[in-house]
Amino acid sequence: MRCTWMRKVSGSAGSADGYMKKTVLGRGKINTPSLDGSCKSEEDVCALGKETQEGAPDGSEWEALDAEWSAAIRYEYHVLYSSSYQTPVLYFRASALDGRPLSLEEMWDNVHPSYRRRLLHSPWDTITQQEHPCLGQPFFVLHPCRTWDFMSPILEAAQNECRKLNYIVSWLSVVGPMVGLEIPLSYATVASKPERTAAR
Amino acid sequence: MADDKDVLRDVWFGRIPTCFTLYQDEITEREAEPFYLLLPRVSYLPLVTDKVRKHFQKVMKPDDVGEMWFEYEGTPLKWHYPIGLLFDLYASNTTLPWSIFVHFKNFPQQDLLHCPSNSVIEAHFMSSIKEADALKHKGAVVNEMQKKDHKQLWMGLQNDKFDQFWAMNRKLMEYPTEEGGFRYIPFRIYQVTSNRPFIQKLFRPVASDGCPHTLGDLLKEVFPAAIPQNDGQKKYQVMIHGIEPMLETPIQWLSEHLSYPDNFLHISIIPAPSD
Repeated sequence: MRCTWMRKVSGSAGSADGYMKKTVLGRGKINTPSLDGSCKSEEDVCALGKETQEGAPDGSEWEALDAEWSAAIRYEYHVLYSSSYQTPVLYFRASALDGRPLSLEEMWDNVHPSYRRRLLHSPWDTITQQEHPCLGQPFFVLHPCRTWDFMSPILEAAQNECRKLNYIVSWLSVVGPMVGLEIPLSYATVASKPERTAAR
Repeated sequence: MADDKDVLRDVWFGRIPTCFTLYQDEITEREAEPFYLLLPRVSYLPLVTDKVRKHFQKVMKPDDVGEMWFEYEGTPLKWHYPIGLLFDLYASNTTLPWSIFVHFKNFPQQDLLHCPSNSVIEAHFMSSIKEADALKHKGAVVNEMQKKDHKQLWMGLQNDKFDQFWAMNRKLMEYPTEEGGFRYIPFRIYQVTSNRPFIQKLFRPVASDGCPHTLGDLLKEVFPAAIPQNDGQKKYQVMIHGIEPMLETPIQWLSEHLSYPDNFLHISIIPAPSD
């Protein structure tokens, strides 16, 4: 299985600190940057959430939308381990091809509408801008403290079915799509084959 | 000997006299006077600088006023770091007042997080408190608190209300007596010359034999270069809230009394003055 994730080590050689990194080129919507580089207020970001409830476009609106959503966006995904929460954390950022980082508003624009509503209503599941603990640069992060809530049923089911589980793949398959990261099915078929031995 | 509660007050009410000067490339309609302010060490820049923005807005056209950001000697100041940490890290051995430049354009997006409103500061603050509690109590204390209790912590900080803040924060400083301390100590060590923003590791306040760990024990484990060698030459200063605590200080005591309101010990490692 071809794998496009890279291991990055920070700090001195032999250090345990590091992260997994993947870069993806995608299509999406970006705004013309405002002259002063400032960003919109939180009220505007909440308004985006309300827009998604107004129903999908139809007919001739698709062509116009397609043009609007054709900008090339470079996504960078980093998986780090949080020793505080003892769980993996997904850091990500996006930039236009000219290097301009996407704003939080533009990130929200490119999150699938069905996830957008959920993320906006649940403060602890939300996406916030944080400093990358190794690079010191601004990244977007999905808050990790609810990870156990959605991972424990998955772990339990795997145990009951005597199925081997790759924790990272399962976790990434839940959180990744929320922020535009596709996890191919091939990851899952490699990672969780059923075991032939009896349950313990 | 000072009472332990006095230490809490001294930490909370620490102030840094600061001079804010508008950066020379900002466009003004008339000359901008510098603005002087006493900054609370335990707070965050965007939370306490409304007066600074209003002062400079008076001499600028509204179109020229973008998101305000601060810079010290060419370094953009990270607003999500507490003010006292920024001062200790960058300017602790310089003469007062602390001289900061104010910018309203060319926001450095690669270096600084955006701060469009106070709720972003609140989210950051609460996120730190949650992480600290995850380390100290597996998150049990924060999860037991109601939303209004979380609000009380934030409002206490925002409105500079020591009693209101500590009425709730004391719960985050409790631990089972038989444990002798928290599960792990929430701390971060900062050094300007490092290529990573901070060092944060799991560290227990009490050894397996029951002996309390000290600040020196923490440094030995995480930053051994900061411990002075036997030849007496001190290479670094280990600073918290503008003071150098003795290395023999129990780390549990430091965590309970010298943490910032976000419940983290933010420790600066700076070069010792060469005089």
